[in-house]
Amino acid sequence: MDAAIQGFALILDPMNIFLIFIAVLIGVCVGALPGLSSPMAIALLLPFSLSMEPVSAISMMAALYCAGTFGGSITAILINAPGAPPAVATAFDGYPMAKRGEAGRALGLAAVSSVTGGIFSLFIFLFLAPVLAEVALKFRPQEYFALAVFALSMLASISGTSSIRNLIAGAVGVLIGTVGIHITTGVERFTFNSPELTEGINFIPVLIGLFAIGELLNQSQTLDKTFERITSVVVKLPSLKEFLRMKWTIIRSSVLGTFIGILPAEGATVAALMGYNEAKRFAKNKEAFGQGAPEGIVGPEAANNAATGGAMVPTLALGIPGSATTALILAALIMHGFRPGPFLVRETPHIVYAIFGAMIIANFMFLIVGLAGAKVFSRITLIPRKILWPSVFVFSMVGSYAFASSLFDVWTMLVAGIVGFLMKRHGFGPAPLVMGLILGKLVEENLSRAMIIYDNNWLRFFESPIVDGFLVLTLMSLFWPLISKIWKRN
Amino acid sequence: MKKNIPERSDATGRSGNPSPPGVDWTDVILAAIILAVCGFLFYVTTRFEEASEQMSQNIPPEWFPQIILIFIMILTLAIPFEQYFKGKKVAGKEREVSVKPISIVTALLLCFIIFLMPWLGIFVTMILICLLLPLLWGERRLRVLLPFAIIFPGAVTLLFTKVLGVYFETGIWSKLF
Repeated sequence: MDAAIQGFALILDPMNIFLIFIAVLIGVCVGALPGLSSPMAIALLLPFSLSMEPVSAISMMAALYCAGTFGGSITAILINAPGAPPAVATAFDGYPMAKRGEAGRALGLAAVSSVTGGIFSLFIFLFLAPVLAEVALKFRPQEYFALAVFALSMLASISGTSSIRNLIAGAVGVLIGTVGIHITTGVERFTFNSPELTEGINFIPVLIGLFAIGELLNQSQTLDKTFERITSVVVKLPSLKEFLRMKWTIIRSSVLGTFIGILPAEGATVAALMGYNEAKRFAKNKEAFGQGAPEGIVGPEAANNAATGGAMVPTLALGIPGSATTALILAALIMHGFRPGPFLVRETPHIVYAIFGAMIIANFMFLIVGLAGAKVFSRITLIPRKILWPSVFVFSMVGSYAFASSLFDVWTMLVAGIVGFLMKRHGFGPAPLVMGLILGKLVEENLSRAMIIYDNNWLRFFESPIVDGFLVLTLMSLFWPLISKIWKRN
Repeated sequence: MKKNIPERSDATGRSGNPSPPGVDWTDVILAAIILAVCGFLFYVTTRFEEASEQMSQNIPPEWFPQIILIFIMILTLAIPFEQYFKGKKVAGKEREVSVKPISIVTALLLCFIIFLMPWLGIFVTMILICLLLPLLWGERRLRVLLPFAIIFPGAVTLLFTKVLGVYFETGIWSKLF
């Protein structure tokens, strides 16, 4: 109880409330702008956050995460250009509804269902994180290793068309994590006699490069693309009767979104698509979907925002990111000296409550900000991209440099960006690579410890029922595409 | 970048042949490149310094990277056949359109500016980026461009140096003034 009071007191500090408000504004803008994404914004925020109070920094990122997920729905509904991948499914029915002159109603439905889903998942997070952390405290290195491997195996089913490419990208991330001095032996690995590489490759420039510079190069391919101008929009909140009529769709999507968010590696995009499918499956009038059905908006919107709270559960309780964005929040926690995982929940529970508080406040703030300023936010797509993206590059360059005042980090960012651009073209997403990069050290350290404990005997891993359980889950997630194919055929 | 896929594409880069795709030759080349890089890195792991047995406790430093590299190589072997077995394209839809020269020139320009950064200093580098990148991308409104190229880097410099306390290399700027 003391921790809860301490956490909420921290977050209710006027300065923190102000920073959350700023983060919500940035989040909605970033979410609304096609090309810019929450992971990119958080990656760019990382260097700034180092000089801030840890709680303020993490709260800002958590708030930005929530608001960014909602922001994407504004442009998805108004101009059929989802600002962020989680809003793709919202455009299926949001845009047709807007086209028939009900844009305000569509935005209102999206906002209310987003907040409902988000707050539902946050209460699940508050309840589940300590329970999960308590269980994880009993984990030994071998069990932690099996958990991390399970998380990496989930990359096989992360959004994208190729499980194999996702797994390769994840493994490349793990490999990048091995650069530098080996912690057990002190031997240099992949340093190529470069003093800058002895301490390993910094997370921040790689993350900024992958998300910001990769996208900048991607955007340079589509400079001639223009967005239509928005006509005036007056946001209309759904009536209580309409809200209650869709309560089961919202509840179902919130539960589904929270569950998908909790699964390592799965994020809001998968949740939104499943939320849409489930809304359609349970709908009485399936033909209305794609023509502007209200359930086609509330389903994905409740699910994608519920995934944000869900994704925080494994991130904080286990130290295993629930999505690409939470992987960045995890990196920020590490850089601020916290130990994400069960020890964070046990030793600094007030931080968990502070994050919870920040996300709750952010949910209400983006409801107000989104409703009051939907028209303004939808107009930000009119910012000339020829000005916007050079600004992103300047922030990326300075952010990478500021972390360690090192020019090498700027080069790392640039190389990561070019590699990320090429990888994306060939079906290797940046999200699996980031997950691998974040989880790599955890996997290696725990595997090494477990092997030392077991005296290099692999077979002894199977003595632990927890390891066995995770291995079964790992196999299931690796072969899920095959299993689901056979299932559908039968 | 020239495409080398069995389906023909029209001028817009959209695929015009509806027949099911077979082995994608771009993927074959991609797999060969990944295998070559992994092979080289595997060779590098064999050249790691040897750690004493007491230090390594039977877990030599090359052991984990080698496992990861083998894992990547095994998965890479499947890449060329992925499209064939799935019966649909698996690479990113971005690959359907060739890399435009503007993207290559953008990457080269960014590399060149960063190369000059130690000499130019950060402030001048930012001004150059804000000026040259929009110009390269076709922005010709100087009344927009010039204020942007001065005010934005100035604001970023103030934010980082005065608020966040980051030291910026002054470079040529300090020699000029």
